[in-house]
Formats: sequence, C-alpha cells, structure tokens
Amino acid sequence: MIAPAKTERTKEALEAARFRTVLRERGGETAGRCYQCGTCSSACDLALDAAPFPRRQMLDAQWGRSERLSGDPAIWLCHQCNDCTVRCPRDAKPGDVLQVLRAAMVERLAQPRILGKLVAQAGRTWPLLIGVPILFWVVLIAIATGFAIPESPFGYDEFVPHGLIYGVYFPATFFATWAVWASGRRFWTLIGRGVQRRGSFFGHLTQVVIEILTHKRFSSCGTSAQRKLGHLALLWGFIGAAVTSGLLILAMYGMGEKLPLPQSHPFKILGNISAVLLVVGGAMLVWTRWKDREKAGSSTAFDWFFLGLVALVIATGVAVELWRLALDPTTACILYVVHLGAVLCLFLTLPYSKFAHLLYRTLALVHERMTEESSPQSGEAS
Amino acid sequence: MEKLGLFACSGCEIGEAVDLSAFEELAEEHGAALNETHPGLCSPEGVARLREVADSGEVDGLLIAACSSREKTREFRLEGCAVERASLREMVAWTHEHGDEDTHMLAEDVVRMGLARLSGRKPAERELETLERTVLVVGGGVAGMQAAIAAADLGHPVQLVEKSGHLGGYAAELALRLPEVPPYDDLHASDSEETVRRVAEHPKIHVRTDCTIASINGQPGQFQVAVEAAGETQEFTAGAIVQATGARPYDAQRIEGFGYGDSPDVITTLELDRMLAEGALRRPSDGEVPQRVLFVQCAGSRDEAHLAYCSAECCGASLRQVATIHRAHPEVECMVVYKDLRAPGQLEHFYEAVQTQPGSLFTRGEVNAVRSNGSEGLEVDLFDSLIGEALTLDADVVVLATGMVPNSADGEAIRAFKDAQVRAETSESESQRATAAETVEELSAHESTEILNLNYRQGPDLPALGYGFSDSHYICFPYETRRTGIYAAGTVRAPMDAAQAGEDGWGAAMKAVQCIRSAERGEAVHPRAGDASIADFELKRCTQCKRCTEECPFGTLNEDEKGTPEYFSERCRRCGICMGACPERIVSFPEYSVDLVATMIKTVEIPDEDEEKPRILAFVCENDALPALDEAARRRLEWNAWVRVIPVRCLGSINTVWVADSLSTGFDGVMMLGCKHGDDYQCHYIKGSELAERRMTNVQETLGRLALEEERLQVTEVARDDFARIPEIFDEFAELIEDIGPNPYKGF
Repeated sequence: MIAPAKTERTKEALEAARFRTVLRERGGETAGRCYQCGTCSSACDLALDAAPFPRRQMLDAQWGRSERLSGDPAIWLCHQCNDCTVRCPRDAKPGDVLQVLRAAMVERLAQPRILGKLVAQAGRTWPLLIGVPILFWVVLIAIATGFAIPESPFGYDEFVPHGLIYGVYFPATFFATWAVWASGRRFWTLIGRGVQRRGSFFGHLTQVVIEILTHKRFSSCGTSAQRKLGHLALLWGFIGAAVTSGLLILAMYGMGEKLPLPQSHPFKILGNISAVLLVVGGAMLVWTRWKDREKAGSSTAFDWFFLGLVALVIATGVAVELWRLALDPTTACILYVVHLGAVLCLFLTLPYSKFAHLLYRTLALVHERMTEESSPQSGEAS
Repeated sequence: MEKLGLFACSGCEIGEAVDLSAFEELAEEHGAALNETHPGLCSPEGVARLREVADSGEVDGLLIAACSSREKTREFRLEGCAVERASLREMVAWTHEHGDEDTHMLAEDVVRMGLARLSGRKPAERELETLERTVLVVGGGVAGMQAAIAAADLGHPVQLVEKSGHLGGYAAELALRLPEVPPYDDLHASDSEETVRRVAEHPKIHVRTDCTIASINGQPGQFQVAVEAAGETQEFTAGAIVQATGARPYDAQRIEGFGYGDSPDVITTLELDRMLAEGALRRPSDGEVPQRVLFVQCAGSRDEAHLAYCSAECCGASLRQVATIHRAHPEVECMVVYKDLRAPGQLEHFYEAVQTQPGSLFTRGEVNAVRSNGSEGLEVDLFDSLIGEALTLDADVVVLATGMVPNSADGEAIRAFKDAQVRAETSESESQRATAAETVEELSAHESTEILNLNYRQGPDLPALGYGFSDSHYICFPYETRRTGIYAAGTVRAPMDAAQAGEDGWGAAMKAVQCIRSAERGEAVHPRAGDASIADFELKRCTQCKRCTEECPFGTLNEDEKGTPEYFSERCRRCGICMGACPERIVSFPEYSVDLVATMIKTVEIPDEDEEKPRILAFVCENDALPALDEAARRRLEWNAWVRVIPVRCLGSINTVWVADSLSTGFDGVMMLGCKHGDDYQCHYIKGSELAERRMTNVQETLGRLALEEERLQVTEVARDDFARIPEIFDEFAELIEDIGPNPYKGF
C-alpha cells in the first residue's frame, strides 16, 4: 500500500500515513474536511491569542504529524464544549478530532506502551482488561482462603483478609504512580521543547489545582452547566473516595477501629457522600452526553471504557454494601470479587484511560501558565 | 423641427416652484404653435392629450417640460412626433427654492434650451438594408462550440473556424470533467465528444477545421470574411463575430527552480492530463506507479515575474486530477500546496469531497524549490503558511499547475508595430527613423500574431486589455469589446474553467445575435441601445487630420489613402467622440450636433454684470453624472441657481468650440461633469472622459492667451453614487467664479 522506505524522511511519511489511519479508525476522520478557515479558533473561548487552537491541530491531524501533536499542550486545554464543532462550516468536528487526538496521545505517551495500546483499543480489548483482574482475584482468593464464603452477618475481611488486599493494591498503586510519573515526565519534556518556561512549577501547580477543583475554566467555555456540575461531582467523588480509602487505613491501624464502621462514623459518612457524588456526577455526564448527542460529539470506546469502568466500580461498591446488609453472603462475595477486580482494573488502567487527562491537562495548564504571560485565563484565576 | 409645441406639467411640485403661465411669452418667442399646462402629464389623461396633439399633425415636435428625460420614457414616447424633455422637476423644482426669482429664471432657461434643442433637431431618416445573419465563430474549443450551438439554435447560420484539425480544444483531451450537476461531489464523464458531434451534425453550423482567417472587411451585418484552408481562400459574409480562441498553458520552462526540464518527474497539469487520459499514472523516470504526487498550485502564477494574475482554472484542474488518480490508485498520496485554494461556487462541494479522501493532503504555502534527489525521488522545499514553518516534502512526481496565457492578438499594438515599421523606412530625419526602429524592436513580439485580420484603421484585432486578455471594456458587460459586433468569449476573454467558458460561449452568441438584430433595425448596440440615428460626415470640409479615425474608441472609422474617414454606421456607438474631436466640426447627429448645442448655449439669458447673477454652464455626462444629479434631486438636495445644465452623450463629445461659445455668450464659468478616467476608468465610451480632460487642458491654455482665467473651465469626475457631493461641487465652483469676478466678455 505505502511506498517502500527510501530515505529517512520517507520513514516519517510512512509513520504519518499510519497515524492518519489510526485517527480515521478511531473516529477522527472528519479532520479531513477541514479547510483551515479558522472559525474554530475564533469560536473557542479557551484558545490562546498567541497560539490559538484547534485550527493548527486540525491540519496536523490531517497530515498525521504525530510528533508535533505529542508535544502540543493545546490539545489538552480543550474541554470539548464543541462550540467549534457546532460552528464549523465544513462539519469537520474539531471537538471530536481533539478528543480522538487526546486518546491517541495518551496511548503514545503511555509507559509501558503495551498497556496504553490495550486501553486505547478498549472497544475490542475490554473483556480482557476487566476479565483478567477478576480472574486474578478469583485465583488469589482460592489459593489464600479456598474461597470460603463466611456466615452472615459478616465483614468482608472474613472473606478476603486485608493483608491480601494491601498486597495487591499497594503494588498496583505504586505501579500506577510510577506510570503517571513516567508518562507525565515524558509529556512535560515534549511540550517543553524549544520554549522558555518561567516561574515556579509548584507555585503554578497550586493555582492550577485550585482552578481544577473549582472548575473555573469550565464556566468560561460554552459547556452546559449540567456537564460542568456532573464533572465537578465526579471529580470530588473521586477525591472523596481516595481520601476515604486513606482514612480507613488510618481508622483501622491508627485508631484501632473495627471494620465495617458503623453508618454514623464520620469516615463512613464521607465515603457514602463520595459514593453519592460519583453516582450522581457519573449519571449526569452520561445523561448530558446522551441527551445532547449532536453537540456532545461522538463518544469513542476509549471514553466509554473509562466511564463504564467507573460505573462498574461504583455499582458493585454500592451493591457489595447492600448485599452485606441484606445478609446474602454468597451473592455479596461474588459481587465483592467483581468489585475488587474492577477496582484493580481501574487502578492499573488509570494512566492510560480517559482519566489520564487529569494528568496531562494539569501539566498542560501549568505549562501554559509558565510560558504565557498574559493569557486571559491566568489573569482570571489570580 | 418647425411646428413646435410646449407642454408644461405642474405636478410633482413644479407648479408650486414656478409660475408656469410665464412660459406663454417664451413659447411665442420661439414660435411654438402650442402652449399648454397640465396638472399631471404622465397621467392617462395627460398622455391621451399628448397623443391627441401628436396625431393631429398640429405640431411635429413637442417639448415636454416636466421631469428628467430618464423618467416616464414609456409614457412620453410619441410615435411620429419628435419629443424633447426639459427637466423642470429635477433641475428646478426639487433642487431650488420655490417661488424665488432665481428659480424662475432657471426654469425659463431650462425651457429655452429645450425648445432650442427641439427646433435644431433634424429628422433621422435612413434606409434599412437586408443584412447577413450568419455568426462567425473563431475557435472550436468549449466556448466556441457552445457559441456555435447557441447561435445556430436561434436560427442563425454559423461558420465555425478552427485553426487545428479537430474541434473540442483542451477539454477534448479529458476523460473526466469537474462536476456540473448536484451534488457536485464527483467527476462526470466528459461530454466533449457528444458536443463535437452535435456541432458537426448541426444543419446550421458549417465547421471549417485547419482553417485560419485571411481578412475581415466591413461592419456588423456586412462582414466580408475570407478564410484560408489548405492553401485555398474562401469567402463568405457574416453578421457578427464571436472570438473564442482560448488560451494555452504558461511555458513551465520559464519557471526557474521548480525542476521542470531538469527531472522528467516534474510535469505540468497538461502533461498529467495526457498521462491520465491514456489511463496510466506513471512516474516518467522509471515507469513505476508513483506513491506520492505533489501538486504545486500557482506555479508561475500570481507572480510578477511570470503571470501576475490568477488563472482561475488550475485549482479545479488539480482537484480533478487528484480525484482521477484516486479512482484508480486510492493509495497514492496526493499533496496539494496552494497559495489560496480557489474553488468558487459549487466547486466547493467537490473540493470537500476530494479533501475527505484518505490520500488527499492539502496545505497552504509557497513552494521555493523542487530538487531532484537522484533515484530517491524529488524534494520540495516550501514555507507552510498554515503552521508558519519551512518544510521539505518528498514526492515521486511533482505536478506544476501552470496558469493560462490567452491566445489573443493585440490589434492596437500590431498596428503600432506596422506604423513604426513604415516610419523606420520613410521618416525624413535620421533621428525619427531611429526612434521608429526602437519602437519596432519593442513591439516585435506582436509581429505576425494576427488572428482576425480585421481591415480596421486601428489594427487587425481586438485591443487587448490587462495581461493580454481581450476582456470586456465595460463594467458589468462581459463579451462586449471595443469592436462593435465582435464579442470575446471563453479563456481569451478572461481566465476561467471549461464550464464557465461554455456559458461564456452562450453569452457571446446572444450578444452577436442581438447585434445583428439591432443592425437590421438600424439601431445602435450597448450602451446607446436603440438609438437609430447615425452620424453625418460633411466630408467636403474634411482636412484629413485623422483625429476622428484615431480617437474613436470603437474603431468605427477607416481611412482612405488620403486619410479621409470612412464611416461604418453599424460599427458606431453614437457616443459623439468624433464630433468632439473634429476641429472643422463636420460631424453631426440629427438630434445632437455642434450647432444644436451651440444654439442651446446662446439661448440662455445672461443677466447684466451689475445684476450680480453669474451664469455657469455645466456639461453633464448622461451616463453617470446626470443620474447622480437626478438622484440628488430625488433626495431634495439644493444647489446653486446660477448653474445651467446641458446633458451630453459623453464628455468626449464636447467640442471645444462650445467652451468658446459659452464664454463669448457671457457665461462666467464652464463645468464638465463626467466619468472617472485612468486605469480604472468608468467612462462608458472607454476614452471619452480622458480625451475631454486632454482637450480641455489645451482650451485652458487658450483661455490664458485671451486673458481669461483658466479656472473658469473645470472638469470634475462624478460617479453615479456621488450624488451627495453635487451641491458642494456646484457651490464651490460658484464661489470660485464669484472670487474671480464676472466674465469680461459679458455683454459683447
């Protein structure tokens, strides 16, 4: 199909052709329609005056310039409000294309790359991605306890000892942390090529984190309030869930509390609030995406995998508690294994799934602040 | 006209502005047999009364003192009776203070001038001849074939002359053409063969291939055409001519640095078309299918060093080629580097469809160099203006989208070349001969480029406009040329694609047919369409100065050996530029002549110096300036009451003697309001306002010698949309005249 490699540059051309095929297959084929009028860049409230997007990124996508795109912070600044897509005279759907580009970049920046590839093709690999961790737990529990279902009433530590859980999740957390660190470092180097950064990384990071926690930027772009609220709830739900996990360890070992904690315990209340936020936020996002399909843009398997996984974790988490209270140990334990598998899957795929945008967007925002002296957003945040 | 009648209308505020009963005396003075006023002349009752008078034979000429001559033309057209109009509404009632003394004097002068004009009119009678209806179409490409079909389908016999051995032009070489029907997103099979067959089989069309034009004599309706084919000359008569001689690609050899001629893999659009027509995309150097083809748009176009203009067709051609390549080889990468991708109209849909194909890559930029990398293909250096960076792209084949050069001949330049040749031989002084020889050298490129071989004083072909195209000389009027009855169509007229050229052929054929029909009725064509009067040359007074033959913008006049003008009435547009040019004043029209206007000037009442009422005469061009005055009147803008307006066909028709007449009559100043001249002229007769400006500069010098201030004569450019400036223009000039003081010749 493609010309035999003749020179160094032709290799580049080959790579570009491959990348174009990838984009087309993943839903970015509309990039080809773009005729560079720049309506998108002027419609975008987040685009920078000095380096407006997404016009240039559309051209890079057309030509398959993956190298340029992987070092381009602009694609991460987009919140996919799809103002550009609505206004595009050629129906090139810049919002969707950028979404596909972000997914492709998550894959390219992934460490190790094989996991990135698997998650990027979640449309085909999802049974594997979910199935293997569940199977892993089944085997592990079988070896450790012979899969003995406890009598009701019970605590789940009677089914799976906490040691086993730490034994799995601590390494998984370390792995995910390393992967985030490695991918993030790579990204930070790529976007920093040939530009001068000013100021302190952590100083700007603090500002960015505040901005993210308040979803300030979300309001400045044309996204619906519903989507902003949903996303905010999901974010805070995640933070709450993570904090609860830490507090539970503190409760057990620092405070000598016995699990399960009573419903009135402040940590338990925090956990339940987080769960509610996750459920409500997730539902709102799915609902807005579905209700406003035209404007929301196309949803790829990459998007759905992460959303589905989160939904599975939440659903099984809530179900596990309900069935424990309902005194049905067999169903509860099966649900618990699925839950453990889903959580493991979530941990291991976090750096490669849609969740990774938290990493790259944060870094891109910090980069933007360190390179742009007078962008309207930084003025607004300070 | 002998038996005059005056009808004054008191409607539209005229009655309030002016006391119409005072016209009684005026009418008597001018020997008018009839004087009536009416509250609304354009009403059915008014028109009925006018008809009654016209039919009674009581009068042979009527002055309708009502609104502008540009209004109510249908109502006031009276068969069998000469009609003149005096614009009491626009020039008096709507623009001057009602009931004022000055307003009344103005109204009287307007009526006086109208009566003078009417009485000076001569009957326009001429015998009509039977004319030839054949349309000669020169060039058998897309435009020529469509012109032939259009004219033939209207019942006109067509002689189609084609230089090459076959019809169809470049389009005949294409298997596929750009979409012309909805949804405009895919190529069509070419219908060129079908069109060629239709032309060849049409009973009204006589096709002459391998044929050129030896000579053309005469005028619309009576062109004597001699053609040459296979060494034989044949003659026929044609009524009108469509020139559709097309264009050719720019010579890519002349574009340096793009590798054309250095590498066989750098080819032109035409060469790729020929390759694709044979059904095989091949890299010329090794015969393999290329994997990457790069199109350089604007190769040598929009570039002062080559073709400064956009050829309009190359973007479409490259899109067509990309789509053609992808039909057979969807895997071949086609890169298109454009300066601006111009896909106007429905072509946008096709551009979108081509661009969406996976193998299509488009970017905007300037290609700086195409280099051969030996067996490894070609490298193209460009500056990509969409990302603002220099890039180097690899390609197996580079296609240069070269622009088009019209197959035109510059008739005026050929004439100048031939004249200079004669002067270089026969001039008396050596320096004159040397200067002529230089001109010959300069214009040598025009030698033997004749196409139409017109036997016209001003050269054997249409005058060429910018970039050598034989474009329309009229804003908003395509196909029109400066040679009446000869219409340019297709790429010889302007850069365009095949679809437009076909449409152009139709349009030009319509104009040709219209011209023949007008000539049959003895009427002028655009812009004085319908004017049935023709010029009269009183040749016994002619001094053979050749000003008229040289200055006529339309090549109407030939010369005999002595230099006496030969008038071809059907080539004439009735602008009167010859009348303005003639120092002996031998040219006149029945309704418009030097004497007639002179009488109008002299009929104006000039108040004595001590009355402190200066008089200003304004010659106003009928095409743009007069409508601007009417528009100002419609908006009730007021202007100076010292001004007396005489509409003229063109500033170029103003004979300098009128200026002398005005000043000797006692006018204090003379104004000329006409169209813009220069490169972006607005003159409806091309050179009229420019000639007027030049002639008046001479007159101003004469004024100086007569101890008259040259500021008393002023030429002002007025466009149709300058109406708001009209009061200011008149007031400023009036102030100037007041400052200078009264005309010292007043009262002599």
